[in-house]
Amino acid sequence: MAQLEQQQDPIYRTSPERTYKMMAIMLGICIVGGGIFFGLWDFWTSMPPEIMGQDAEDHGAAPATASGVEIPVSLSFVESSDFRTLAFNALPGEAGNNPTIMANVGDKIVFDVINDGVSFHAFGVTAEEEGFEGIFPGSEIASATSPLKAGEGGTSEFIPTEPGTYYYICTVPGHRMQGMVGEIIVGEAGTSAQAAAPTGVNHDFVLDFVESSDFRTLAFNALPGEEGSNPEIRVKSGDQVTVTATNAGVSFHAFGVVSNPDDFNSVIFDSAINSASNPLKAGESGSVTFLAGAPGTYYYICTVPGHALQGMQGSFIVE
Amino acid sequence: MVSGNMSGNHSTWPEWVYVGVVVALLCYVGAEAWNIERIVEHVPADAEIIKVTGQQWLWTFEHEDGTKEIGELHLEKGKAYKFEITSKDVVHSFNIHDYVVLLDAVPGRINTVWFSPNEAGEFPIQCREYCGLIHYNMRGTLYVENGA
Amino acid sequence: MVLELQRPRPIWQIMFSTHHTDIGLLYLITSLAFMFMGGALALILRLELFAPGTQVIADSMTYNRIFTVHGTTLIFLFILPSASAFGNYLVPIMVRFKDMAYPKLNAIAFWMIPPAGALIWLGFADFTWYAYPTYSTISAPGPAADMWIFGLKILGVSSILGSINFVVTIMKCKHPDLPLSKLPLLAWAYLTSSLITIVAVPTFAAALLMLLTDRLGASGFFNPTLGGDPIAYQHLFWFTFHPEVYILVIPAIGFMYEIFPRFSRKPIFSHSSGVAAFTLLAIVGFASWAHHMYATGMSFTEKTVFMVGTLAAVPASAMHTFNFLATMWGGRIKFATPIMWAVGGIALFFSAGAGGVVNSAMPLDFITHDSYWVVGHFHLFVMGTILFGTVGFVYYFFPYVTGRMYNEMWGKIHFILSFVGTVMVFFTQHILGLFGMPRRIYDYPPIPEWVQMNIIITVGAMIIGISMAIFLVNLIYSSAKGKPANMDDPFGLGGKYYFPYKAKNPHH
Repeated sequence: MAQLEQQQDPIYRTSPERTYKMMAIMLGICIVGGGIFFGLWDFWTSMPPEIMGQDAEDHGAAPATASGVEIPVSLSFVESSDFRTLAFNALPGEAGNNPTIMANVGDKIVFDVINDGVSFHAFGVTAEEEGFEGIFPGSEIASATSPLKAGEGGTSEFIPTEPGTYYYICTVPGHRMQGMVGEIIVGEAGTSAQAAAPTGVNHDFVLDFVESSDFRTLAFNALPGEEGSNPEIRVKSGDQVTVTATNAGVSFHAFGVVSNPDDFNSVIFDSAINSASNPLKAGESGSVTFLAGAPGTYYYICTVPGHALQGMQGSFIVE
Repeated sequence: MVSGNMSGNHSTWPEWVYVGVVVALLCYVGAEAWNIERIVEHVPADAEIIKVTGQQWLWTFEHEDGTKEIGELHLEKGKAYKFEITSKDVVHSFNIHDYVVLLDAVPGRINTVWFSPNEAGEFPIQCREYCGLIHYNMRGTLYVENGA
Repeated sequence: MVLELQRPRPIWQIMFSTHHTDIGLLYLITSLAFMFMGGALALILRLELFAPGTQVIADSMTYNRIFTVHGTTLIFLFILPSASAFGNYLVPIMVRFKDMAYPKLNAIAFWMIPPAGALIWLGFADFTWYAYPTYSTISAPGPAADMWIFGLKILGVSSILGSINFVVTIMKCKHPDLPLSKLPLLAWAYLTSSLITIVAVPTFAAALLMLLTDRLGASGFFNPTLGGDPIAYQHLFWFTFHPEVYILVIPAIGFMYEIFPRFSRKPIFSHSSGVAAFTLLAIVGFASWAHHMYATGMSFTEKTVFMVGTLAAVPASAMHTFNFLATMWGGRIKFATPIMWAVGGIALFFSAGAGGVVNSAMPLDFITHDSYWVVGHFHLFVMGTILFGTVGFVYYFFPYVTGRMYNEMWGKIHFILSFVGTVMVFFTQHILGLFGMPRRIYDYPPIPEWVQMNIIITVGAMIIGISMAIFLVNLIYSSAKGKPANMDDPFGLGGKYYFPYKAKNPHH
């Protein structure tokens, strides 16, 4: 090990100039970086993950019309005694096997499903021609990892947004292949439900987002129980509607008229004010003007996930 | 005492004793924890099933008889309840801290935990896994009522 | 700012140098800068949490982004680079070699850090430093999230390259007359932490890539609607990051193995015990990852396996504690700033470990998981042990780097304020967690106990902030105008216990 040597070379110590130069470099970097960051503040969190954009494409645009028609469908999982063949309602060859459901775009199909077999099953609607993926949210009952046992059942719904053929299946892997699949054939929206030509009539509505102090209850204009809460809106098809919404709470909100109050993505008539990924902050306002489309019962909601369910919804009826 | 090599020439029995004590303590902790968790995880057969669904940013509940509740859960004192917990979108965590009920709500999966409330009153329900913008306010209330 | 090994030369020459002392100093400056920046973010968070309601942060999205960047910065841009800093400077000297095994690769590994840091700080993602799916894949907004993923990818590669360099230098380039068993414990610390890095970090690199493709919709690894499993990510993440916490703490323990014997003027109690403890920790550290996941719905058997793996790693850490205390026992201790930091670090290390044993016990974890108990626990490790050890070593190293002494009185004041503040903040957070306050929340309901404890914690955090401001001023002022140090024995330890390492003149 090298022993202590007499210092032959001079020792160069850090000097003030070196220190100032280094601090100047560090500060310069911070200022430039800070300028870029704060200057583009909204940009950095402006885009939802690309996969979410793809999902919206898969499900198609929100229906321009809600037909108001409800189609109740009762289904049961049945199995052959050797478990080789599976089906809905009746085995192949018998009457009622895998019934085909006819519907139009905008109809709400309500499923009531029960497991009449001895094995495990689960339910869902998909547009895929094979396999058990691509299940539409809201249409699933139980799941492959936690299925319906013998005798158990559940309900779900499905509103098709585009014409075509869909499939209701058992979502346990392999069961569709063994026969648990049926068709839902969706035709165009009926000719009776078309948007009228613009009437030239204008309506102005003020719909403010209000919250209870414990954030448990949300609503428009007033809390439930108070006067004016979630007012019902009626307009005629073709009327021009202007909605002004102010965020009178402290949380985040956004607005849209939708065909399905549980689906905050199904905004129709181009009636959105801001969105869940770019909401109105406390105190902010926005407004939108749009034409009321085809007659039907729709809903105006706050499009931030969960808020409609907590009370921020009201009826928007087009006559 | 100062020697040429890196460590002194001395006995190391104090260290062995110390390590022995540490290992013994840890064995005790491990065994006791194993036993308690084993007992705690045994679900009573008569537990009523409550389906819990977490989503951004609220909790919804469904009782066995189909009654649905949003943000609130009404249960009876003294009865056993089994929660079947899932999520609709991202990972949340269902937590009733006063009764040490804590289990993740994972999309695509149903997790199960049971408890039996032994005191009437109001208890907070909160989310214990970061789930985004309003995670901090994803709360609910458990109401435990005296049984009929 | 370099202890000049030749006549003073321009800064650009230092920046493009491949000599290990220069690269070590670049790492040190970068890591200290990020330490102050990440720490400042914590102060903003604590101001907001002072009371229920909005204080200084307007909305929860900003709060979420701040705590994400706070954690990411302090782990990846402060602790890891500061370990690399001292490692690069000292490992070649400790193995009696002229430089690291791959000098140009060394420079490349350093220069990956500023762009990665820029990506992370410009984006300011919001999905916590874990980035768990499915939030990170379907809900976290971009481009911040994608920038974070790329930034961490680059940092992971930098870590692996640096670790390869350390392992080859120590194993293959050490002087032929120097056996491994006589290598200083600090070199052993770098050897073991580098080996852990090489085994553990590639798993996270894979997980990051899977996150990215999931976000783009090109894959469904963690997406249940496409047949994937979000919990799979947690396994991959923690398989890397449980050993990672050992990667973080082992160099700091190595620093203490330098400080304690010198300032106690007494040799290490047992060199071989230190080697055994490092090796044991490195191996057993891989057996405990899913103790972070007890609440995900694992079976009883799975939880038991990981509880046993966790408890098995505790004796190794206990051995280090014993070694330090036994080294000080009977020594003629000089209470200068570096050893005060090291002693404080050991006290907090012990408390952190004790709290950790509570977490590892399966039923108790359901009280503490994802609450402020966990925040208090891990901060006692990263702040209490790692930061205290690192700062102590920075003080120790200061005269050798700058040729000047720091101000001793302000160094001691820095320690006292930091220690008081750390105890106030992180011990209180353990209790706050027992009262049920969750992590990562922007605001909380006005429960009286929560409010009282949050006030204490915020005050403690401000005390730490003041102490760090003192540190910053001390560092800058002393390097410019500090009293010239006695280069043979800056701390006046006397006799054989001066700092024995000197860099060889670089052959540029």
